[in-house]
Amino acid sequence: MGDEHLISKKEVLEQMGISYGQLYRWKRKGLIPETWFIRRSTFTGQETFFPKDKIVERIGRIKDMKGEHALDDLAEVISEHVNAKLQIAFGKLKQVGWFDEELIRFSGISENERGTLSLRDALRLAVLKKLRRSSRDEEIELASRTLDHVIAKTGMDLIAVEGKALHLFRKQLSGGGISAEISVIVIAVDGLVVDPEMRRIESVDLAAMLQQVKLDLAKLCGPEEAGAELLGTEDKTNGREEHE
Amino acid sequence: MSEEKKSVSVSGAGVIAGGSYSRVSISGAGKISGDLYAEELRMSGAGRVNGHCEVVHLIVSGTGKFEKAVIADEMKVSGVAKVEGPVKVKELKCSGTFRASEGISSEYVKVSGQLHVGGDLESEIFRASGGFDVRGLLTADRIEIHPGGRCRAREIGGAKIDVRRYSSREHAGLLNSLMRALSSAWGGEVEAELIEGDEIYLENTKADVVRGKQIHIGPNCEIGLIEYSESLTVHDDSEVGKQSKI
Repeated sequence: MGDEHLISKKEVLEQMGISYGQLYRWKRKGLIPETWFIRRSTFTGQETFFPKDKIVERIGRIKDMKGEHALDDLAEVISEHVNAKLQIAFGKLKQVGWFDEELIRFSGISENERGTLSLRDALRLAVLKKLRRSSRDEEIELASRTLDHVIAKTGMDLIAVEGKALHLFRKQLSGGGISAEISVIVIAVDGLVVDPEMRRIESVDLAAMLQQVKLDLAKLCGPEEAGAELLGTEDKTNGREEHE
Repeated sequence: MSEEKKSVSVSGAGVIAGGSYSRVSISGAGKISGDLYAEELRMSGAGRVNGHCEVVHLIVSGTGKFEKAVIADEMKVSGVAKVEGPVKVKELKCSGTFRASEGISSEYVKVSGQLHVGGDLESEIFRASGGFDVRGLLTADRIEIHPGGRCRAREIGGAKIDVRRYSSREHAGLLNSLMRALSSAWGGEVEAELIEGDEIYLENTKADVVRGKQIHIGPNCEIGLIEYSESLTVHDDSEVGKQSKI
């Protein structure tokens, strides 16, 4: 962190041809993660900077998705993805990068009779997918259960608050000639301190992940009826014919 | 889950267990222990919820304290309310005193009393005629402030921002001059480090930096730096340190 190229808000507006109103609106809608807003004091006063590549890519994406439809419609579709516990067609998931059939079986997320899964499970999958590179099977399973438990208890919006991340730690324990390694899953906000013997294997920023999932999904499918008219003419021509 | 939800009221002193209810009313001193889900929660006495509070209508006319998150469609505070977790509502009307330790996210916010926010305040529409103190960012598509006291936010950002000493539309004639007299007696003003928007009109405002497309600075402002991309006008009774077209 800190080494990324930064771009000032003024430059973002100018380069992407957007207004303050739009930028703030997208921020409020959760389309641009809080953590991307980096406040700095400069000689001209307080300024906000963004990680350049990320913000340019994200705004490009938001503008793409907008197509000819009003931004508010888009925001509505996206927010409904969270609120309405949207069901996402399994077939669709294959089109997004974080989908993985093996993980689905593995995490105990099952396809229901309608061939869909909830956003909650989609988020869980996305997180597991990220963990998978570096984790063992039982750790993925542990993370899956932890997430499921937390989401069931506090809901989606509360787990994906700014700075909240899921961490996987491992720690070596030895004594009496026997040594064992334990795995620990922690969900915490920034500033978590653990003992130095805990090795951090992987961290997943949950808020950023949820945004990613929302964007991916909003692109792929809308809520059944609303989506039909709102995202109806999107570039995916063959993308939306699963109705049951 | 399928059983009928009960209503409950405390008029003396009592503790209610958390859970799902239809209506909950506290007119004496009441405590709700655990998470509360209800259609309506009314606190006209002294009430406290020590879990999450998820209700459709939340009305605090006495004192209410919420130790975790508050989620509601409508929240009205005419007494004193304090929320220690995040606040997520559709509509917030505060004519009393409302203190939110974390952030507030809403679609419509109206403040005629006092509002204190420890984090950010996000809304589609924000209207204030009282006073407020937002420690983080105050953002809304439309921000209308008639400062009736000290109005402070670290940053204010949105599409349209309008700060006027009194509302000339709403109070005509005698009432208008009364409002004007009162508001100058109270000396209501807006203070922010940064104000950003597409269309900005300011009166009685102190800010380090103002950035926008079309900026009109009315009377009684002190602005350190203005950066605008389309137009700028500055009233004679205001001071502007530097200005630049970007």
